[in-house]
Amino acid sequence: MKTAAKTKKKTAALQLRPLRLPDRTVTVLPNGLTVTIVERGPLPLVAVRYITRAGSVFDPADRLGLAELTARLLRRGAGGQGAEELAESVDYVGASLGAWAGEDSFGLSLNTPVAHFDAMLDTLARVLRRPDFPEHEVALARRRTLAQLANALDDPDDLADRALVAAVFGQHPYGHETIGSKAHVEAMTRNDLVRFHRERLVPQGAHLFVVGDVDGKRALAAIERVLGDWSGENSGQLAVPVWSELARSGDVVIVDKPEQTQAQVRIAAKGVYRGHPDHSALMVMNSVLGGSFTSRLMQEIRVKRGLTYGAGSHFDQLAHAGTFAVSSFTKTETVPELIDVALAEVKKMRAKGPKPDELSSAQRYISGLYPARLETNESIAAALADMALYGLPADWVDQYRERIAAVTVKVAAEAAARHLPDDDQVIVLVGNAEQLKPQVEGYGRVSVVPAAQLE
Amino acid sequence: MIPKELKPLADSVVEAKLPNGLKVRLLPSSAVPTVSFYTFFDVGSRNERPGITGISHLFEHMMFNGAKKYGPGAFDRTLESNGGSSNAYTSNDMTVYYEDFMSEALETVIDLESDRMRSLQVTPKMLKSEREVVIEERRLRVDNEIAGMLDEELGTLVWKAHPYRWPVIGWMKDIEAITREDCLDYFRTYYAPNNATLYISGDFDPKDALKLVKKYYGAIKPGPKAPPAVLDAEPEQKGERRAEVRHPAQAPTLMIAWRGPAAREHETLVLDVLQYVLSVGQSSRLVKSLVFEKEACVSVSIDWSWRKDPGAFVAAMELKPGADARAAEDALYAELERVMLEGVSERELQKAKNNLAAQLLRELGTNNGRAHALGHYEQLLGSWREGLALASRYETITSDQVKQIAAKYLKPARRSVVTLVPTAEAAA
Repeated sequence: MKTAAKTKKKTAALQLRPLRLPDRTVTVLPNGLTVTIVERGPLPLVAVRYITRAGSVFDPADRLGLAELTARLLRRGAGGQGAEELAESVDYVGASLGAWAGEDSFGLSLNTPVAHFDAMLDTLARVLRRPDFPEHEVALARRRTLAQLANALDDPDDLADRALVAAVFGQHPYGHETIGSKAHVEAMTRNDLVRFHRERLVPQGAHLFVVGDVDGKRALAAIERVLGDWSGENSGQLAVPVWSELARSGDVVIVDKPEQTQAQVRIAAKGVYRGHPDHSALMVMNSVLGGSFTSRLMQEIRVKRGLTYGAGSHFDQLAHAGTFAVSSFTKTETVPELIDVALAEVKKMRAKGPKPDELSSAQRYISGLYPARLETNESIAAALADMALYGLPADWVDQYRERIAAVTVKVAAEAAARHLPDDDQVIVLVGNAEQLKPQVEGYGRVSVVPAAQLE
Repeated sequence: MIPKELKPLADSVVEAKLPNGLKVRLLPSSAVPTVSFYTFFDVGSRNERPGITGISHLFEHMMFNGAKKYGPGAFDRTLESNGGSSNAYTSNDMTVYYEDFMSEALETVIDLESDRMRSLQVTPKMLKSEREVVIEERRLRVDNEIAGMLDEELGTLVWKAHPYRWPVIGWMKDIEAITREDCLDYFRTYYAPNNATLYISGDFDPKDALKLVKKYYGAIKPGPKAPPAVLDAEPEQKGERRAEVRHPAQAPTLMIAWRGPAAREHETLVLDVLQYVLSVGQSSRLVKSLVFEKEACVSVSIDWSWRKDPGAFVAAMELKPGADARAAEDALYAELERVMLEGVSERELQKAKNNLAAQLLRELGTNNGRAHALGHYEQLLGSWREGLALASRYETITSDQVKQIAAKYLKPARRSVVTLVPTAEAAA
């Protein structure tokens, strides 16, 4: 006991040691590409990240999944170099080069041993500037994507998230997953990809981050050499309509998977966009509600009742909108019990906010682990990219823990009252609909969707 | 030989062994103000027997449910309120616990970890509740997940006698039947300090840290007797083994395994190289041929996880709806045969070595990664130095060795094949 008391005293007096993003040099090239370089050892590795505002939210309404299909194809032939040769040259040196489409952004990332930095940067530039989109590769990527869409119907967790996005956003451009849907992927042609590339993958307004064991001046010269004469600005649609309301508020959507003995459960509501003024308060409050092992949801659902292996809540914050969701799973028979406990915890938090000791524990939990997010070249590049993409203030990282520490019980409670749902929510279940339906009729209008409808 | 870029890491490691047998490895680094604290217990599902399969994993859960000083719930509450988080995993060979936290909390974490090693409490109430949690985990990962179902079936094909035969999470009936006495006996035997090693990595002074370890762990008594040895009684396989799993699904899936060598064998490293040549990156042989050229499958991967006793080299293929599983299998075998007959090119060989070296460097990029890597290598290779020197051992591997090892291990008569056969109900 003596030691425990001593420890307590020590942690109470704890001061946060200053945390700073490493020094960086920022150069805007004449073509509008912002280049940020961080010299950082000791391991002889470099991470490079290109990011631009061309995520799935901008997919044309009849081509949902276009950004992601483009990402899949960039490496499959560029500048006259075939997919195989290109892949081999990257794999050979122990590098990795990938492209991805998120909801808001389109990106490329490269990790390479520093000895091959110049050569790999060449490859990145070629893939980014001059993808060939060979017809046979387009057809192949389409077939693979369609197979993945079909096979994903066997993954209950994935199905729940797909159904959730649709139930929350409906017809809004955020209302589809980045991979798109069967009908749209089937319809995509090489012309769609060429156009996407021409209109969206450009230097103007885009960012390139280089973090690793490089000499800054040399790295910048190398970038200017391969990207300096690149030109173009984003000529696609850049406005995102305002999302006004939850598409299926008050509904219970059951995705039918008759063979399941366990049901996936999601309870979703409106949340906040990335960079919202209530961000810190919500992170602290949600940590208490469902963001850690000691959180109320985990304790009530898993630890006290043994209903599940995992339970939590999360604010998914996108550039233009956001969601709040509780996620868990339990055997079919205990689904109502789990929903009751989860809803009660959300309501309680909404009404009363966190307790002082919960608040201070959550603040320490978030702050203590925060520096570990800046441990690798990749994670530093990703943090810098997020700041650029979401227009976060320059001290976003350096002052993150201070802002978390400034949250009071009152502020957290107000944020809970403002942003947690009262009754404006939708419940999504994936499981045996025949058994689930009679159990959940009291929670709202129940509709049953065959899994195949989500392909 | 440890390469020069890893020399500073190797030289910074402080090693110690307490009189009670607890081994300690300290890896100081001031790059970020956090610490990762790993405890490796030399026990896993390999040490179980029929009737209590899954006890290693269930026990891992129980370790978070209260000890003498820090009662139920106090472990995570104390840790999180000190700016840390914890997790753990159980494998066939070992049980591993870790905490990541801000460096100021080091003493608290040592107090927490030593408390549960000294005086874990297994109450009937906590056991009952945790058993339900584990049953839901099993439903999630095995009973409602195709890969989990197939993997479980595959284990029973590959191993007839060795404990690798059963899944780490255990058979459902065993999870339901494990008693409190089983748990207590298990704790006494396997959770003694002489069966554990600590790996502490991050921002601390090694002298202070060692003092704290001695202060908190020093008085814990060693186990009454050494844990019983595990006998590998696995008989020689005399022909292909096949099984089907019939389950509603969109498409067939294949898992094919060959029993390989134990982690400490040099041949294990040759299979690492082969794994990279076959399946890592878009230019690897299987991805190039089966996914992009022949479209025999949507994805293919090889899992060659080192184990204390001979483990399995496992190929997994996800197919398209309506695809012919037999044709996909044949396409895979044709590629393997090519390696057995012709070996691999010098360039492919070098590519694999470059990737294995780069992979190791990346793994060592974080406090958590360093502590885990050293523990993993020491448990499986007998020494963490061996792990840091891997790149130079890979360098000695030749195309001929790859060819010989492929021919020795990946023969048709040594394989086990599990096919997921989609049943009609699931047809979309």
